[in-house]
Amino acid sequence: MTSFFDIVLGGVFHAAVLFLVAAGLQLVFGVQKIVNLACGSFYALGAYFGISAVNWAIAAGVPPALFLPVLVLSGILLGAIGPFIEALLLTVYKRDEAFQLLLTFALVLMFQDVLRYFWGANPQQLGDIATQYGKIVVGTLQVPTYNVLVILASIAIALGIGAFLQKTNFGRILRATAENREMALALGVNVRVMYASVFTLGTMLGTVGGALVVPTAAASLDMPVELVVEAFAVVVIGGLGSMRGALVGALIVGLMRAAAISWYAELEMLAIYLVVIVVLVFRPAGLFGKAVE
Amino acid sequence: MNSHRRKLLQAIGGTGVVAAASPYLSFPAFAQNTPIRVGVIAPKAGIAGTIGECGLRGTMFAVERINATGGIAGRKVELIVEEETNPKDSIERLRKLVLQDKVDCVQGIVSSGVSLAMGAVAEEMKALLIFWDGTTQDGVKETMASPRYVFRSTDNECEAVMASLLAIKYWKGKFKTIAGINPDYSYGRNNFAAFQALLKKFGVEHKVVADQWPKVGTTDLNSHVAALKAAKPDLVFSSLLFADLPIFMRTAHGAGLMDGGTKFVFPAAGFQHTALKKSFTPEGMIFGHNTLYFDHKDASPLQKDFVKMYVDKYKDYPHWEADRAYFAMQVFKAGVEAAQKAKNAWPGKEDIISAMEGVKVQSLGGPGHMRKDHIAEQTFYQGLTTHKNGYDFPTLGTVDTMYSDRIQKPPGGDFWKWIETAQIKL
Repeated sequence: MTSFFDIVLGGVFHAAVLFLVAAGLQLVFGVQKIVNLACGSFYALGAYFGISAVNWAIAAGVPPALFLPVLVLSGILLGAIGPFIEALLLTVYKRDEAFQLLLTFALVLMFQDVLRYFWGANPQQLGDIATQYGKIVVGTLQVPTYNVLVILASIAIALGIGAFLQKTNFGRILRATAENREMALALGVNVRVMYASVFTLGTMLGTVGGALVVPTAAASLDMPVELVVEAFAVVVIGGLGSMRGALVGALIVGLMRAAAISWYAELEMLAIYLVVIVVLVFRPAGLFGKAVE
Repeated sequence: MNSHRRKLLQAIGGTGVVAAASPYLSFPAFAQNTPIRVGVIAPKAGIAGTIGECGLRGTMFAVERINATGGIAGRKVELIVEEETNPKDSIERLRKLVLQDKVDCVQGIVSSGVSLAMGAVAEEMKALLIFWDGTTQDGVKETMASPRYVFRSTDNECEAVMASLLAIKYWKGKFKTIAGINPDYSYGRNNFAAFQALLKKFGVEHKVVADQWPKVGTTDLNSHVAALKAAKPDLVFSSLLFADLPIFMRTAHGAGLMDGGTKFVFPAAGFQHTALKKSFTPEGMIFGHNTLYFDHKDASPLQKDFVKMYVDKYKDYPHWEADRAYFAMQVFKAGVEAAQKAKNAWPGKEDIISAMEGVKVQSLGGPGHMRKDHIAEQTFYQGLTTHKNGYDFPTLGTVDTMYSDRIQKPPGGDFWKWIETAQIKL
């Protein structure tokens, strides 16, 4: 039973991180109809910036218990680059999807050089910051406390976004804009501001995700591409543009990966893409996506 | 940036000021006035970036010392550094070094994928090439049975053979179930297979209860660790060696995999030694430092000088790639000088190559030599980890030393047959 929980927790942790990146991707597509390949770059930027933030915090004498808030804050602050990046997308809003993909892929490559310029080309790590949070031990089950905090933070962010979209006026306007841009414009919605806000929120989801996960992992130049491939699997399974789909898709990918690694490690990728193929064949719009008419 | 770095490196060629006091004063009669040009191809970015950086520092240390004592047979050394990336681009840089920069020798390379492709090109171009590392062969079979222009480092599998022998020496009878978590390419596969082959050879009954093959660069190993933990192995063998090793160690510690007396064997952990903090890296693991253990109490004065320089200048502790790079430069130097002495005139490339075959040198980590078949033999260091030191990472409590002729297949030999038939001592 302990082994089962270990495997499930491993999968849920992976899903928590994937969700944050995929949620950003979904939010931006849902409202702006842009497939933003650069979401992986925001994740990587968050990871690198998180390392710098914790190093500054250590130098300033901040106690280890506060490193998690420092990381979240660093991710949120970094999200402020969102409006500037979104301004670049103005040129492709009304163009073919291929142009959007090309532009956002160009951003991935450009951000790789930005990372290289500011943090160097070698992978960066945060030493034993995560270890300092200790473990939660229940019988023979041991879980790093930091991993649990990341999962809880992810759940909190998911609930927060859900409440924001459903319960606030801004969320309602945002959903209305996503449904019918022209109608929103006719009703006086400032779509420019709406787009910039949504893109910034999507950016923040990525940067916070990267910052949160880096104490357990490493920041490297390869991480944007690596993660975006899995994030797309999440999006295809969950349905493009659906936040609920991002959550369920991330859980499916995370748990499938954990199960495959446990039972037959060589099938890690195959298992995930088998689900993708099944979904594409039987429900092309994804589990929670809307079919294109 | 590159041009600045190149100028900096070229400047090393002009720093020798003690030529007058050099024992090589006898050489200038035959020497040319121009410096010897050595091309270096090393990774500067990505998972092997820190490895290339450490190797380059070893090369620069070697060149500074060589130039300070009169150069190679009276000629100063000038370095031209290029970046190792993918095989195709790295080969282009080899061509550029040889055809455009007209270097006398090319050294470097960390990746086996690059070295396997580049070796054949160097042979075709008749370019003298000495590999630092990256010598996992295709399924442990020599891809270049009789190279003329290419010299290579010890088999990458040496560290796995030594770690396996130490595991048997220290723990025979104390484990029955084993698990592996190794990088998913030929190096990782060969190492875990070599471990099992040696267990079989020494009659150690064992059962593989889990084998994990994460891709190089995987940053979330929670599920891999959960799978290992579920299998409840007595011993875990891992040849992870890049940034994924500290991630594995942290994750394993957090999940409790290191509790309960599980034994760990890490043949190539030395690349990450400073990143493996005491708080999550236990004592009593078999830990490989390959051909340079920076904290060896019985190290040569040469190694002690190097480590002191490294710590003072770079605020870090070196690993074995510095030794591999230093060894390559010393083999070239010894070859040139032996050929020059034999010919009593400046030697040609063929003379230098012939002189390098069988040459013995003192490297940073200890003695080594280049075999007639162009494969290096060097001194290897591994042992059991301890926390009793002044660092924030473990060092070796007991240091085991093996010359690679004990742990490397002989010239022309087949790796797996050698394991089966050789008289290997524990």
